[in-house]
Amino acid sequence: MNQSSGKKKNTVAAALTKQFLTFRVGSEHYGLELNQTREIIEYAGITEVPLMPNFLRGVINLRGDVVPVIDLSVRLGRKALDIQKRSCIIVVELHGQDQDHVLGLLVDAVSEVIEMAESDIEEAPSFGANIRAEFIQGIAKQEDQFIVLLDANNALSIRELAHLVEAQLQ
Amino acid sequence: MNLDGALKTFFAEAEELLVSMESAMLRMEEGDTSADTMNELFRAAHTIKGSAGLFGLDAIVAFTHRVENVLDRARDGKVEMSQELLSLLLPCRDHIATLVAHAMKQEDNDAECLAHGQGLLESLQPWLDSEDAEIAAPIGVENASSDLTLATEPGRDLWHISVRFGPDLLRNGMDPLSIIRFLGSLGELVHITTIEDHLPELALFDPEQLYLGFEIRLRSDADQQAIEEAFTFVREEAELRILPPRSNVDAYIKLIKSLPEFIHRLGEILIKSQALTYQELEHALSTQKQQAKASASVPLLGEILVQEQAVAPAVLNAALDKQKKNAEKQASQESRFIRVDAERLDALINLIGELVINRQRVDLLAGKLGNSQLIEAVTAMGGFTEQIRDAALTLRMVPIGDSFQRFRRVVRDTAKDLGKDIELHIEGAETELDRSMVEKLTDPLTHIVRNAIDHGIEPMTVRQERGKPAGGTISLTARHDAGNIVIGISDDGGGLDLERIRQKAIANGLLDETTNLTRHELYQLIFHPGLSTAEQVTNLSGRGVGMDVVKRNIEALQGGIEIESELGVGTQFTIRLPLTLAIIDGFHVDAGGIDFIVPQNTILECVDLPSTHHIEGQHCVNLRGEQVPFIRLQELFCLTQKPGRREKMVVVQFGEDRAGIVVDDLHGEIQTVVKPMGPIFQALKGIGGSSLLGTGAVALILDVPQLISYAVNVENRRNNSVLADVQRSSS
Repeated sequence: MNQSSGKKKNTVAAALTKQFLTFRVGSEHYGLELNQTREIIEYAGITEVPLMPNFLRGVINLRGDVVPVIDLSVRLGRKALDIQKRSCIIVVELHGQDQDHVLGLLVDAVSEVIEMAESDIEEAPSFGANIRAEFIQGIAKQEDQFIVLLDANNALSIRELAHLVEAQLQ
Repeated sequence: MNLDGALKTFFAEAEELLVSMESAMLRMEEGDTSADTMNELFRAAHTIKGSAGLFGLDAIVAFTHRVENVLDRARDGKVEMSQELLSLLLPCRDHIATLVAHAMKQEDNDAECLAHGQGLLESLQPWLDSEDAEIAAPIGVENASSDLTLATEPGRDLWHISVRFGPDLLRNGMDPLSIIRFLGSLGELVHITTIEDHLPELALFDPEQLYLGFEIRLRSDADQQAIEEAFTFVREEAELRILPPRSNVDAYIKLIKSLPEFIHRLGEILIKSQALTYQELEHALSTQKQQAKASASVPLLGEILVQEQAVAPAVLNAALDKQKKNAEKQASQESRFIRVDAERLDALINLIGELVINRQRVDLLAGKLGNSQLIEAVTAMGGFTEQIRDAALTLRMVPIGDSFQRFRRVVRDTAKDLGKDIELHIEGAETELDRSMVEKLTDPLTHIVRNAIDHGIEPMTVRQERGKPAGGTISLTARHDAGNIVIGISDDGGGLDLERIRQKAIANGLLDETTNLTRHELYQLIFHPGLSTAEQVTNLSGRGVGMDVVKRNIEALQGGIEIESELGVGTQFTIRLPLTLAIIDGFHVDAGGIDFIVPQNTILECVDLPSTHHIEGQHCVNLRGEQVPFIRLQELFCLTQKPGRREKMVVVQFGEDRAGIVVDDLHGEIQTVVKPMGPIFQALKGIGGSSLLGTGAVALILDVPQLISYAVNVENRRNNSVLADVQRSSS
């Protein structure tokens, strides 16, 4: 089904594959590039930070480092997550221009690591996903399931998050 | 090859040397003519040049060399270190600093910079004797030559340098080529022979290992020390032998003997490089052989030399010995300090922070178990943990004096520009504070000092009219006070004109004509963006930007700034800062289900809220006859969890402000490591950082001054909107 876009990318490099960590938020499945994720930790409480916008759930102690935790559902324009039995936090590490940032992502459940040939990744539809287009780097299909592969650098841009916090405080 | 490590050392060292050059010059300008100061200045310039040469930073070498020549002449008393010369040399120092900065950023020196350098050198010309450069420097071991006739032969007036570098030289980030290049800058490299005898077979060849040695013939007026300095960085691992010009044959023979390579091979090299003639070599070697036959044991070459022409090498050795001792003495003085990467230190302090937190956790658990022996052991460990913490923190402490010294230059230059005569008085230079804070203090201090010079101190004529001494004084003081450092900047200038500040504020719409402000509040107005009381805008200050930045910078360091001034007498700024931002003593409270920490140094007392006399309808209590406004964290931060029934109030004071912070519960004192909150939370006011509790939970550290001003803002906004509502409904 993805031949048209597949062909286009085939000419670049057929054997290139990428690994993604997939997880569930609400009823939707998402993926993050594996090399941007550092670890997965069990949800064990979050310290709320006052006056923060909804997407910023608070901070956690990650072996001595204080790390902010983002509610991915709110960030993608959905309703806030309820903490469930399988709720966990994916720790992502983003390499910015000035410095590296570590963030926690609150998700409902982590699924698995999948390997996708780059040619099998479809381009994001320009609309219909109900998510800002620049947050998506592509769509993967696995057993009749669509997995939205996120572009972490855009979806979790520190600068944008900081702006949102600033706007909330004013 | 990677020279980065050594280069970094060079830049750090150059920075220090430039500072010491500057301070030496400024002391000279104030009339210090001692030889020590002169030497300090000369040595600094000399070392910069030398080290720069090692890295092939030719621009720095070329420029510094000329400056060094002038300094050398001044040191020898050939020229006088006049005020005029000093005010030329100061910009020269700055130019060297610029060149070093360019090299550090790997930028090319642009045309403007080069022209500036050229201009400086030309202005130095009158102090440079034209023949000066050609005059040979005295050669320390000249007398060592016993055979003067040799001196006239070709190739005799050359230094002979024999060096076998250590195998790890390349791995240590050094390049033998740059050393040879530097030698070239000392004179003329007449002949270089590369000794590749130690190269292994190709299969065994390790590209990271250095197998080479060099025999170098150098024509130079430099003295032995200067040549040895070229090898400073590799001295420990290299075998270095230097023969001065006009050394006699035996010295060469001795050299040959002491080298690891095959004798005849070395002989050939020396002949090729015209150090020796063939006959001389043959003669010396045969002498040795004959003696070897004569006596059963192999005689030491040294003995032969002593017998034949012993004087020369003896003198030579003595001279070398002395130099070596001097170098060792210097080295031992230097080794009292260890240069440590700031990041490593931070990592250590972070780890110790973890230790402190874990100790609290162990404390907690031991308390729960109630085992008295365990509690005892844990308490003892706690004592040591605190000592370790304190010791680690002192590692980061530096005396503030170094940064104060910098202001001598600022005062000198700025005052000169403005035609004022101002003396800088420094007190408490030994007061220590965290290095990271010193760096962040420089900008705000510079601004205040410049302001004092520009606006504070009156022009000479005005001062004389007012019956003050024509020269003004600015004092920089520092002292410790209850876990804080207090920095004072005062001047004996015109003082702040309260009425003018008031008028200006009214004109700028910051103030209503009818508003009555206290003295203190009026002073605080000068920290408002867009308010400058200077009638004349100069290029130094007076644009009304700056004082607000100063205040913000100080507050970012968890500090505060106060002003005291008297019209016509002077102005005093007082900056109060915590000693370190890494670890604070705090008081653990909670409100609305969140743990907070109030910095201990702001706390006056803690009281039960219901027990105090509430003033109806206001966020104010009557505390022993004094009205104290309070804020409820739970309200201010819009926390959802309902407050407890017996609320507590922490009374805090910061500067002149006093306020109560109402919380749900008090948990007691805690020593805590400050963890920055990260860029996302930058806009959040009132919370200065976060910290980990013994339980592993995260607590938020309150920034009291920010919190209070945030609360005031919130209230003003609310009142304004109420006012707007009232107006809307009435119209």
